[in-house]
Amino acid sequence: MMIKTEKVLHLKSSRGGKVRVVREHYLREHVPCFSALCQAACQNEGKILSGDVTHYVVPDAGVVRDFLEVLEFRELQGIVFMQTACQAAQHSRRRLYNRLRSLLKDPRHHCIHFANEFQQYSYCPREKGESQEKWQTRCIYHAAVWYHDHLAGLRPVVMITEDQEAVAEYGSRTSGVYVISTQEYLQSFWPELQAAQELYISICQARQERESESTEREYTEHLPAEVLEAGIKSGRFIQGTLNVNKHRAQHEAFVRFEGSSNKSSELNSDILICGGKNRNRAVHGDMVAVELLPAREWRGRTTALHEGVAEDKAGEEPQSQPMPSGKVVGILQRNWRDYVVTFPPWEEVQSQSRNSQRILVTPWDYRIPKIRISTQQAEALQDHRVIVRLDSWESTSLYPNGHTVRVLGKSGELESEVQTILVENCIHVPPFSEAQLREMPVNSAEQPWSVAPEEVSSRLDLRDTHLVFSIDPLGCEDVDDTLSIRLLPGGTRLELGVHIADVTHFVQEGSLTDLEARARATTYYLADRRYDMLPAVLSADLCSLLGGVDRYAMSVMWQLDAESLSMCKVWYGRTLIRSSYQLHYELAQSLLNGKPAEVPELERLDDADVRSRRRAELLEALRLLTRVARHLRAQRDQSGALELEGVEVRAQLDSSRNITALVPKQPLEVHETVAECMIYANHWVARKIQESFPHQALLRHHPPPRQEFFNQLIDSARTRGFTIDTRSNKALADSLDQAVDQGDPVVNRMLRMMATQAMSNALYFSTGACSEEQYYHYGLALDRYTHFTSPIRRYADIIVHRLLMAAIVAEKDAAPSKALASNKELEELAHQVNNKNRAAQHAQKQSTELFQCLYFKDKDPLTDEHCVADAVIYAIRANGMLVFVPRFGLKGALYLKSRENQVVAVESDGRCVWQAGTLDRHLDRISTSTSMGTHTFRVFDHITVRISVQPARCHPLNLCLEVVSSRPHQAPVAPTETGTQPKGRGRSELVQEVVRLAEEASQQAEEKKGRKAKLPKDEREFRQSKQPNLYSLLQEIAELALLDLQTCEPPRVEAQTCSISA
Amino acid sequence: MAGIELLSDQGYRLDGRKATELRKVQAQMGVFGQADGSAYLEQGNTKVLAVVYGPHEVRGARSKIQHDRAVINCQYSMATFSTAERKRRPHGDRKSSEMSLHLKQTFEAAVLTQLYPRSQIDIYVKILQSDGGNYSACVNAATLAVIDAGIPMRDYVCACTAGFVDDTPLADLCHAEESGGGTSLAVALLPRGGQIALLQMDARLHQDHLDTLMEAAMTACKGVSKVLDEVVRQHLQETSVLTGE
Repeated sequence: MMIKTEKVLHLKSSRGGKVRVVREHYLREHVPCFSALCQAACQNEGKILSGDVTHYVVPDAGVVRDFLEVLEFRELQGIVFMQTACQAAQHSRRRLYNRLRSLLKDPRHHCIHFANEFQQYSYCPREKGESQEKWQTRCIYHAAVWYHDHLAGLRPVVMITEDQEAVAEYGSRTSGVYVISTQEYLQSFWPELQAAQELYISICQARQERESESTEREYTEHLPAEVLEAGIKSGRFIQGTLNVNKHRAQHEAFVRFEGSSNKSSELNSDILICGGKNRNRAVHGDMVAVELLPAREWRGRTTALHEGVAEDKAGEEPQSQPMPSGKVVGILQRNWRDYVVTFPPWEEVQSQSRNSQRILVTPWDYRIPKIRISTQQAEALQDHRVIVRLDSWESTSLYPNGHTVRVLGKSGELESEVQTILVENCIHVPPFSEAQLREMPVNSAEQPWSVAPEEVSSRLDLRDTHLVFSIDPLGCEDVDDTLSIRLLPGGTRLELGVHIADVTHFVQEGSLTDLEARARATTYYLADRRYDMLPAVLSADLCSLLGGVDRYAMSVMWQLDAESLSMCKVWYGRTLIRSSYQLHYELAQSLLNGKPAEVPELERLDDADVRSRRRAELLEALRLLTRVARHLRAQRDQSGALELEGVEVRAQLDSSRNITALVPKQPLEVHETVAECMIYANHWVARKIQESFPHQALLRHHPPPRQEFFNQLIDSARTRGFTIDTRSNKALADSLDQAVDQGDPVVNRMLRMMATQAMSNALYFSTGACSEEQYYHYGLALDRYTHFTSPIRRYADIIVHRLLMAAIVAEKDAAPSKALASNKELEELAHQVNNKNRAAQHAQKQSTELFQCLYFKDKDPLTDEHCVADAVIYAIRANGMLVFVPRFGLKGALYLKSRENQVVAVESDGRCVWQAGTLDRHLDRISTSTSMGTHTFRVFDHITVRISVQPARCHPLNLCLEVVSSRPHQAPVAPTETGTQPKGRGRSELVQEVVRLAEEASQQAEEKKGRKAKLPKDEREFRQSKQPNLYSLLQEIAELALLDLQTCEPPRVEAQTCSISA
Repeated sequence: MAGIELLSDQGYRLDGRKATELRKVQAQMGVFGQADGSAYLEQGNTKVLAVVYGPHEVRGARSKIQHDRAVINCQYSMATFSTAERKRRPHGDRKSSEMSLHLKQTFEAAVLTQLYPRSQIDIYVKILQSDGGNYSACVNAATLAVIDAGIPMRDYVCACTAGFVDDTPLADLCHAEESGGGTSLAVALLPRGGQIALLQMDARLHQDHLDTLMEAAMTACKGVSKVLDEVVRQHLQETSVLTGE
């Protein structure tokens, strides 16, 4: 059956001597070939190479090692990775091997692994005196020949190698098996795949360059991995992730601890890595080992504000208390990704170096060092944004080496800038492939989609029994959630239902669509576009719970006591629904308020009698729903058991107020009603899946923030005489409520903003990975929470849907159709989804910043009145202060000291000019002293600033603030209050909230007025929506991203985006 | 930074076996004429010699005598050339003593000692080449030697190790897999009744996985027992041909 042979290896022993080791090596006759063309009935399971190609290609070990990136092109098909080549990759670089593994696992790539060394006939033992490379090449050739024969010669097999000798030796030995070089292969088989050839050439050049490197040492060598590992265990070195300070990328970087830091208990802060020599070739994001410097060499972090990439002036700037400093002694894991760089102008290149093939390019991200590239296309690529990958960073080189991968476009063009943002956040959103779309159900005029009869029988049919309706933003396409409420017969119980689109019915686990959705993890919303997680046929049609059509849903239905509204019973399951009304928020609110609003679904009815009856029904449902939501909310607010009142509840008020502050309409109670129902559904689903699967349920928790993060908030509040109690979420919420400055409503808003900033993000996790206390959701004050209500745009919800289905099946004692993901897999998935969500948030923020900058770019800051705005100081730095501009929702640094050492002097009328003088900084104020006298800026002072755009060629554009006057900005036109009267407000709202709202009304008006003026411009230039300032809206959402309001907020964004594209 | 990959994505182990496959077991009984029973066994590259003397009178201290059963005396040693680097001390060190004790316990459970009151059975095993699974190879070899000596046993005692990598149990670990740092569970089984004579595990393992791991080890033991049975039958046939019966 199996044949036993032996392999003799020479290994190094632990003491360093050479040891002869004999290992067994078993060979077998049947090794699956994973080809659809197999004639020998191999047991092929899993990924199979289709026979639908002209040839199979076998890369040898050298090609896999050096040119794996080229092989990653999805267009290249029919790749057979031989085990020998994979093992060689494993021994050379771990990262490379991991890439290869994920490539092999990815069903979208057309490649397989063949275990040639375990096949009886394709294995060839290494001969005496044969070099390793020669043996590998021989092995792979031998295996290629076997593979060809195994498939009975149905397809020619091409082996690609970089070894010219091999080409000469094996080239024509067997007919049907060709041995050619990689370049030749690409040119003759894939002539149309220009990108692959360019990438190949670029890698080749980078390699040649590396070989001809000088030997002068620029950095100290890294310590070998064993020494690092031992050092970390003994506590001599500290392991952590390198984090470069964005504003002082050349000098400052920090290493954050990972895991327990109990060994060095005196170190509970980050470690400062000062300067390039100490950083020793580590790049932002790398996992490094750090050795602490002696305490006398410790430095403090710089407190001065710093402009971008400015000059070298270390040592002169004021510094804070010395903090633990260290140097990087080794790198445990590189975390290099694709970087976007900008090529310098051609003239600069020519003057820069004699050898014009070697170019220093500047990455878009400030934190990444310049990268050295060898290319001959420098002239063609000048001022282009290009994707670059890092190859290596030798100790002899001042900069890392890289190679170009793909050109994005000219720098400064909108399209290439947006692509840049996507690449920098590692977001890959290619259009959905044909194979994926083929999996989709069809719904067209000729072939209308209809409900399958077997589904009708297996699902609970709510079409005739329940009044189901959805409330979404106006114009929303993807309706995730619908609601129903009714009085049960008997009149003692209410039935509340939340019906969510049944995406998992259409997206089978493991299908291509599922894999793509998993990779994307979320729908990405950028300022001017969105990238869907699911193909449009699902997200906008079949999964979307549109009005008047039959749709599949996943439902949660509660029976509540009609009087006390306490929960009696909960039911989960698949249903079939037909939404009767597709309402929008404003419409629902005006119905509730008894206004004569027109419901389009009712207008279509001819019979006036029926119409009024239906209208009354709907109205009743809405009233009931509002009542229930109020109750749920109050329950959460004052639930004695929890004795917590979520900050989030407060912040939620805050958020909906903030957001609606930007929309001309007032905040509507109905927003909260819907959100509350969704939170309730999420909570109950979390309970269900956690109880059914205590170790493998996907939940979402929000860890309590670290107390030291609140310091800035507490200090700032103290300057205005408020005390903030941050011990618990309830205490925090209460003290924030009290910290209201009657004269200045912005103060409270800013304090809330700081509190939000201090908090950590809510995260997905697998219940097996945390202890039960850690399940707690700090913001919502719930013991268990998950995401269930938006499966169309969040992958986590899809997982939760599957878990819930599995829980229902398990309850019926039926065997589950498929094994659930293990705790480990789920934890990995949660990690991935968290990362993608963070990336999505960053991308959203960066894209809105981009649009903001583009908006100001065309304004002349000196003449255009839009560039002058009111700002509030919220923090003091050594040479300036940080301010917040409420009108545009932007934050920025403001310098009081120029490079020529002049300071801002304030004239008697408040106007500011630059003059020679000194700065005096205190904790809560900063004073400038000049010949014109002394002026003091305090925290929360209002000043007037001018906004301009700082030109940047390689980096993202920056807004630059400049103080114009030390007095609050006087708006040239009086605020118009007309559109903003609080008209749609529910009477029930908490009194204090009303007070706060009234305070902000004037400010809202001002904001609104500011916006009106610039809107048409926005529209013309950036295809922005007619809704007021999308930027501010998104900014608010980004800030509040932790607040789990996504149940209701992002659809609103969608609505806007919809209207853009419309 | 994990070490070598013990189980590839395609389901192969370092030496080309699948997770449940055993190494090649070869054995021969009656290799020495002097002893009462002897056997030589190879399990992969682990090679063991086992020799049995007895039952005979108790030697040495008379206090050891058991009045209702035989005493079993085991000695385990490793040849100095059995490992990649020459061993200094072939027997008597802590590891060897522990192994001797384990062997003793195993065979006390398997041999029908009550048939030989006031006597002693000596089992000597020597590892000639070590490549993982020393204990199980010793047990298997000693079983054959005991059978060769004609001492009645309840059943064959078959031993095998099992490890746990990536949620998959691996049967019959080789040296590279054992030293990889994972769990290793050794089981000595009386296969017909399914009784466990000895179970040993040093590393940590989640309780949830213990059952699957034991299951794998016991299946492997049953596989070994088949091979041993074949060896015994073959040997019997050969000797009966020789004696002309």
